[in-house]
Amino acid sequence: MTFKYFLVAVLIGFIFYLLLLPRVGYLRKGVIFAVVLTMLVFAIRPDWSTSVADAVGISRGADLLFYLSHLTLFFVAFVYFVKFKEMEVRFTKLVRQLALENARRDAGH
Amino acid sequence: MQSEAFRKVLAETFVVVPAYNEGRVIGEVITGLSSAFPNIVVVNDGSSDDTAAVLKGLPVIVVKHPVNLGQGASLQTGITFALERGANYIVTFDADGQHRPEDALSALRMLGDGQCDVVCGSRFLGTTSNMPRTRKIILKTVVGLANLTAGTKMTDAHNGLRALSRKAASCLAISQSGMAHASEIMSQLRLHKMDIREVPVQINYTEYSLAKGQSSLNSINILVDLVIGRFLK
Repeated sequence: MTFKYFLVAVLIGFIFYLLLLPRVGYLRKGVIFAVVLTMLVFAIRPDWSTSVADAVGISRGADLLFYLSHLTLFFVAFVYFVKFKEMEVRFTKLVRQLALENARRDAGH
Repeated sequence: MQSEAFRKVLAETFVVVPAYNEGRVIGEVITGLSSAFPNIVVVNDGSSDDTAAVLKGLPVIVVKHPVNLGQGASLQTGITFALERGANYIVTFDADGQHRPEDALSALRMLGDGQCDVVCGSRFLGTTSNMPRTRKIILKTVVGLANLTAGTKMTDAHNGLRALSRKAASCLAISQSGMAHASEIMSQLRLHKMDIREVPVQINYTEYSLAKGQSSLNSINILVDLVIGRFLK
């Protein structure tokens, strides 16, 4: 039971942190809020996860949470990979501009 | 073509050579090129070896990336610089000694005739020495995939020897810094309806170039880069 209270406290803390976060779009905030809220509900009422699992054709609630957490992690990893690639493109443009400016200066332009 | 006319083409041509840690061979490659081409731009892609020192005594313009970005990024930097300097024709040429200057001249001759916008080197139309069997299979697979994604009918992909008209080079905005740039270049040229031809070239697979070249497994990374690249557009 102690871990359950700890988990609930952490999740509630995260929801407050999320609400206070500046510069995060409403859509993104909403998606994260929904995921954390679902985790919170299942932490308080684990038997509900079994009912949901049963409804979607998975026998155990624990299995449902296992699959969902994998999907969530995969999604988060993909989003950050794309973000990283975007940063790489910006970095490349910056380095190119620097290289071209130096070359122009060396060539006396 | 009259040799006087071709001399004019040569004077308006810039050869772009992306180089990363090629100190061992870059001197020989540039010496071979400079006997035929008056304008050579070497993009030193953040090399940590003596590439910069070797280039100092050679008749080339050096554009230096402060950090290593990859061959695709180097090509775009070199092409942008060449266009700024008024190049009407641009030849891309690998720095590892795989290509022959006479093949670059053949490609340029075809381009200079004005029959097309781009001429790509094809190792499968020419003779290739010491190409490992696995590399041949992988390259053929990559060609198939590249044709599928770019909508082209090429016999070779990922061949660094190309000749581009100013119009074709101006169409390029290479965002793939790594090795996926070759497929991206073909996609962009195709998108802008450029007339692309191929010329037979000979590739010399030396121990050095094979060690420097990309590993066969890298073809998977190229595929991933191309897929991710589509999401970023």
